[in-house]
Formats: sequence, C-alpha cells, structure tokens
Amino acid sequence: MRLIIRDDAAAVGEYIGNYICKRINEFAPTPEKPFVLGLPTGSSPIPTYKVLIRLVKEGKLSFKNVVTFNMDEYVGLPRDHPESYHTFMFREFFSHIDIPPTQVNILNGNAQDLITECNSYEARIKKYGGIELFLGGIGEDGHIAFNEPGSSLSSRTRIKTLAYDTILANARFFNNDISAVPRMALTVGVGTVLDSREVVVVVTGQRKALALSKAIEEGVNHLWTLSALQLHKWALIVVDEDATAELHVKTVKYFKSIERVQDEVEAMHEALRAKGIPDNEHNIGSMD
Amino acid sequence: MTSPNGLICFTNCLLPLEDGSLVQRDLWIDERRGVILDAQRTFFLRKQRPERIIDLEGNILSPGLIDIQINGAYGFDFSVYDGDDEAYRSGLKTVAERIVETGVTSLVPTIITQEKTLYPKILNLLRPYTPPSSANLLGWHAEGPFIQLAKRGAHAPPFIIPAPEGLKSFENVYGPENLSVTEDWLMAGGGEGRVGVRMITAAPEIEGVMDSVEELSRRGVVCSIGHSIATTDIATTAVLSGARLITHLFNAMPQLHHRDPSIIGLIGASPHASAFTPITSPVSSSVTHNFFPHKAPIASTNSTPPSHTPSHSHTSSSLVKLTTGGKATSEAFDDHETPPQTPMLTKSSNAFSAEKLALKLSSKGPRGELHLEKGRVADMAFERPFYELIVDGIHSHPNSIRLAYGAYPEGCILITDAMKILDPNLRDGVHEWRDGKRFVKEGDKLYLEGTTTLAGSVVTLGKCVRNFSKFTGCSLGEAIKCATYNPAKCLGIENKKGTLRSEADADLVVLDRKGNVVSTWVGAKEVWRRDRV
Repeated sequence: MRLIIRDDAAAVGEYIGNYICKRINEFAPTPEKPFVLGLPTGSSPIPTYKVLIRLVKEGKLSFKNVVTFNMDEYVGLPRDHPESYHTFMFREFFSHIDIPPTQVNILNGNAQDLITECNSYEARIKKYGGIELFLGGIGEDGHIAFNEPGSSLSSRTRIKTLAYDTILANARFFNNDISAVPRMALTVGVGTVLDSREVVVVVTGQRKALALSKAIEEGVNHLWTLSALQLHKWALIVVDEDATAELHVKTVKYFKSIERVQDEVEAMHEALRAKGIPDNEHNIGSMD
Repeated sequence: MTSPNGLICFTNCLLPLEDGSLVQRDLWIDERRGVILDAQRTFFLRKQRPERIIDLEGNILSPGLIDIQINGAYGFDFSVYDGDDEAYRSGLKTVAERIVETGVTSLVPTIITQEKTLYPKILNLLRPYTPPSSANLLGWHAEGPFIQLAKRGAHAPPFIIPAPEGLKSFENVYGPENLSVTEDWLMAGGGEGRVGVRMITAAPEIEGVMDSVEELSRRGVVCSIGHSIATTDIATTAVLSGARLITHLFNAMPQLHHRDPSIIGLIGASPHASAFTPITSPVSSSVTHNFFPHKAPIASTNSTPPSHTPSHSHTSSSLVKLTTGGKATSEAFDDHETPPQTPMLTKSSNAFSAEKLALKLSSKGPRGELHLEKGRVADMAFERPFYELIVDGIHSHPNSIRLAYGAYPEGCILITDAMKILDPNLRDGVHEWRDGKRFVKEGDKLYLEGTTTLAGSVVTLGKCVRNFSKFTGCSLGEAIKCATYNPAKCLGIENKKGTLRSEADADLVVLDRKGNVVSTWVGAKEVWRRDRV
C-alpha cells in the first residue's frame, strides 16, 4: 500500500486527478477495451473531480472510452432528488465531462426488485472485465462505500441498512431532518472494491484521522472496513496533513521518505530513457 | 449550425435564477422541440448529451426579455389600423422580427384608446403570433378606453368612455369573442400549448369598471390599474376583485399622498390596513375644494370644480372637464395636461367604496394577530399587485425607481412603453413623425421639434435592465428578473416564458456582464447576433 501525504485537500485532488489522468491515458482505452472506473460521492472526491474536469476541458483527458460504476445510491430517494447520488454525480462531474451517458452506471435505488438490481450490477462489472481503478472515500467510522462497520470483508453489491451515525451525519443534507434521511442504500461490497485491479482512496480532514489510523496502522478488522485494503495488491491512499493527526510520527515519516526515494528512482530511469539507454520499466521498484 | 442530435449545451455561462441570483451552470436545450431540457433527466433517462456545445465565454444566459407594454417600434404603431389587415400584419411582423436585437423575445402589443368600433378588429389581429425567427407576440394589452379623463396622458379624450353596463360594456367595446374564457380564445387563435395573454388597463373608479374586474380576471384577462385617480380604498378593492398589476407606476396616477397613498400605496399595502375596516381618508373632502392646488400652467382652462355626486363616472359632474386634443405627448405622461397633484374623488363616492372594501375584506377571515417571528411579515388579506416601471430615467426619477423596488421587489416589472419610433439603430437628430410633425431624438429622449415637450419613450428593454441595475444598485441578475420572471408570473405564463425551468420555451438572450445583448434565441434557434467588433 502506498500512502501519499499532501498539504491540503486541494493538493490531494490535484495529485489524484493527475494520477487518474495518467492511468487512463497510459491504458489508451478504445470502444472495445474501455477503461472501467469506479467512482464515489461525498465531499472528499470533489477536488479530484474538479481537476479531472479541468483536464478534460484542457483537452488532456477524455472519458469517451471510459465506463464508470458508482459505489452506492440511497434506496427510495427519487433520482431527481437534490441529495440523490445520481444528482450529485451529474452536478459535480458527469455534466462537465465528455462521457457518453450510456457508459455511466449507478445503482437504481428505486428498482422494483432491489436484489436483482444488485446482482445485475455485479454482472455488468464482470461483463466489462472488472474495474480497472476504483476511486473511493471513507466515512468517519472508516466505511468504504456504504460498507458500515461490521460489514463482511468479502461482501458483494447488496442492500445495506445505514448505521445511525451515518444517518446523523447525512441529516445535514436533508435540512437537518433526521427522519428525511433514507434508512437504506444499495452499495458495492468490500469484496467488489477489492476485486478491482487498483484502489485509490482519498482521505482528507481531521475528522477522518482516527479512521485512517485504524485502517493502516492496525490489523484487518471488519469494524474499520477500509482496513481490508491491506490485503489488496495495488492500493493507494492519498491524504492531507489534517488526516494524519492520529498516525504515529514514524508512520508519516516512513511514507514520506519512501515517496521521496521512489521519486529519485523514477527520475533516474527517466534520465536513462532520455539518453536513449534501453530501460525495462518493470525494473522500477514499487511502493506497494 | 445545428446539433447532430438536436441537443445544445450552453457552457461557461451565468444563469439568472428565479430568486435573482446568478449561478455558473450549464443549460441544455432541445432544438427540435424548442424547449429547455432537464439536463439530468436527459442524461440518465434519455441517455443523451448535447452534441453541440456553445461556450458563452462567461456571459450571462438569461430567459428572453418580456415587454408587456409597448406601443410600437421600427416605425409601426400598434394603435394605427387603417382597414388593411395585411399592412397591419406586416407591421407586426416587422416589429417581431427586429425587436430581438434588443433582447426581447416576447412582447404584448399595447394599443392606446381607440375609436371603439376599431377594437374587435384590432384585438382579433393581435392574437398570439410568432413569425419565423422572430419574437413572440403574446396577445394584446388594451390600455383604455375605460380610463380616467383627468389622467389620460396622450389618450384621445373623445374616445375615453365609462362602462355603464359593466361587463357588457367591455364586451361591446372589445368584442365578446375577444373576452371569452381563456381556453376558447386560445383555441380560436390556433396552436396547441401556445401561450396567449390579454391585458386591460382601466381605471377602477370609472363607472362599471370595478364590477367587471372579477369576471374579467376569472376569464384569464390580466386587469391592470392605470390612468386612474382611484383612492386607496378603491384601488385596494380593485386588487381584492382580481386586478393584479399597476400600469406604469407613478405615471398617469395621483402622486403619493401619505394620508391617502392611492394606487402607488398598493405596493406598500400594510397587513394592518388589509385587516381592518379602512378609514375613509380625510384628504378627499379637504382637497376637493382646491382641485388644482398648485399654480402650474395647465392646458385646461375651463375646469369646473367637482360636485359631490356619488357617481363613479368620469363625466364633468364629478370631475374636471378637460380640453380635448392638442399636444402630442408620451402615452404615459400627463404632467403637461393634468397636475401631478391628485384630483381627488368626492367624499361620498369614497365612502361608498369603503363599504365595498370592508365587505371584500370581511370575506377573507380574521387577521391582525401579533407574532414573534423575526423577519416574517404578518399575513396579508391579498397579494400586492405587480407594477410596471418605465426605466428610461425620464418617466420616473432613479430615486422613485429605487423606492418602488425597495418596497416590493417581487412585484417589479420593467417595461419600455415605447413609441413606434423605437429603433436602437435610429440616429440622433430630426425625424418625421405623423401629421406633418417632426421630432428630435437625443439618445433616449424624444422631443417635438422646436419644443421641450417629451414625445414618449424610445428606450429598449435591454437598456431598462441596465438602467434599473444602476438606479437601484441591485445586481444584474435581480434586474433581469424584473424583465423576465416577474412579467411572466404576472401573466401566469411562468412555466413557459421568463424562466429557465425545464420544458419552458428556449427563448433566451445572451448578455455580457455589462448587460449588453450579445445574441438572442427564440424556440432554441438563434435569431440575432451582435457583430463581433
């Protein structure tokens, strides 16, 4: 696992936005072989979306051959409701980029048969050959998607009852009316996230500091579902300084130092390539 | 240039919302249906996104401006019909085609007082009509003939009449088919889902008018109070009966008197006054003896003092008799012919209206409870009426404009009340007018040649928006609202016009941040564009 630490949320967004751009462009997606991207909602990914939108407007990135799968959606909330994740994704991201609507997948929380909806979502992901990169955020209790504490770490897409804490936290989006907050959501499972080839998680703000510490400094534990990421081969967590408040100084220093060393290694190989000396990319060390 | 899939996205623009704010947001429209789209539904349900994207470079994308009072433009006078239907239609077409350069996408042609036999014909010709690549003519605004002689402005005195038979008099003049219930009228006008409006400016103190307001309103006619000397009680009763607009506020009506604020006072209508039996103003009786208290030169020299008859009639028995004909002045201006000071109705007639008002109010239930909620205003027995403002800087002083807007921003509607001379391309200088008269144009001012007599308004609605923002200090978004959403709401067409709601007509105007018109769209098609400098 890599941990990248940046000064603030904007710098985190800048890092992840550029990283995803690089990944998509290196993947060179085509209509036959699209880049499959998993996406979250919430306040944490907004700076990242802003950077991606800018890159699209600058012509450096296109979503023409990108297929997206969103993590979750409330049950029973109208699609047009200002707090639905459909609305969020359209407002914050999809309306500003060039993605064809047919390539956007969001769970339908108003489906007649919610179980069938979940199963067919998994099947659709499979049909595309799995998710290439899943971008995620976490809750204060360390949940990834709506996989609240206690969720099975091998869970798949399913109906989930929300934790009371999550309902309280989300009430601010519903005029502070707790009764208006949906009680259930459809969400991809921890297993669904772990199945993707790469996972990138954004963690910003002091309120998420404890969850970050629990997820990376202690053992794998279903009470902090993000900790399951420790089992993933290719995981990247990008955080701001505030989110490191609960980490050991040693942990912070370790990850900062390894990022520096990695930069040196990559610069060296870059220099070799510039001189025309053949270089095997696979010889570059990895931080994972 | 059209979009391959018929959808257009405007991006990099500011959208004025119905609350007066300006937000950075995209707008999607459908070229084929000519409407504004719910972008999110189009994306998720239709699975489509626009294939043509228009970068507006940070400009404002507003609903097209709506002018609900305009007498003519580009040389055509809506009030002049000489028996040739084709000539009249072609005049309408010219105005509709050219006015889009001023940012106007909908207008309500206004006809001033006519010889009464002309009405059925002209109103019939003024059914909703949208020539290709042109602004929408929404219907008609009949200003007169049931107006107050003493506040007639440029309306021809011989044609000004009372309505002794109430609604029947209205039908006799305008033609019953033109006053049928909305559905019939629109059906006859052809076109499904088409927006059509009818407006009548009348003086509620004129015999027969007050009794007709309720039925006219029920039939979908917008009744506006104007060219009137109604007292506060009469004006309030008119609003309770259904009148929902004041024609060119401040002009052709009594000036604000604090003891009987008359028509202007409606925009500050108090919850208290709307809850109790109103007190008959003491002003009425005291002023009647001094009819023209100031010594300003008045055209009429043969005025007779008003007698105390209980009549609402405008006839010389209760009101001053004024000379006929003469000066050509602005439709709305009356200062040269009648004093700015209020000629008051007689005490007895006012007492009569007070009874009526009390009756109307008592049907609205008890009111006047005190409350403890900061910011909330106690319930009103009635909504305050919308009011029109001519914002050319001449018809009303900027201070007056700000005063009115501050009192009731939600009711504010900008109009041009422009004369047929309106044409932003017309150079300053001397031009022919009519009857061998000539006028001098100086910017937005028009004078009769060789005089200092103002000959009416030639301001564009776009200029009114800019002026309004300057005069009141409000934001451009709030000024735009007064020329889009507010007039649409007054006319009851805010689902189709004056708004950026989904399924509304894609009638749009692009304004730069100084409020100048950059391009105009009607029914999702670009109909005018400013040449790039």
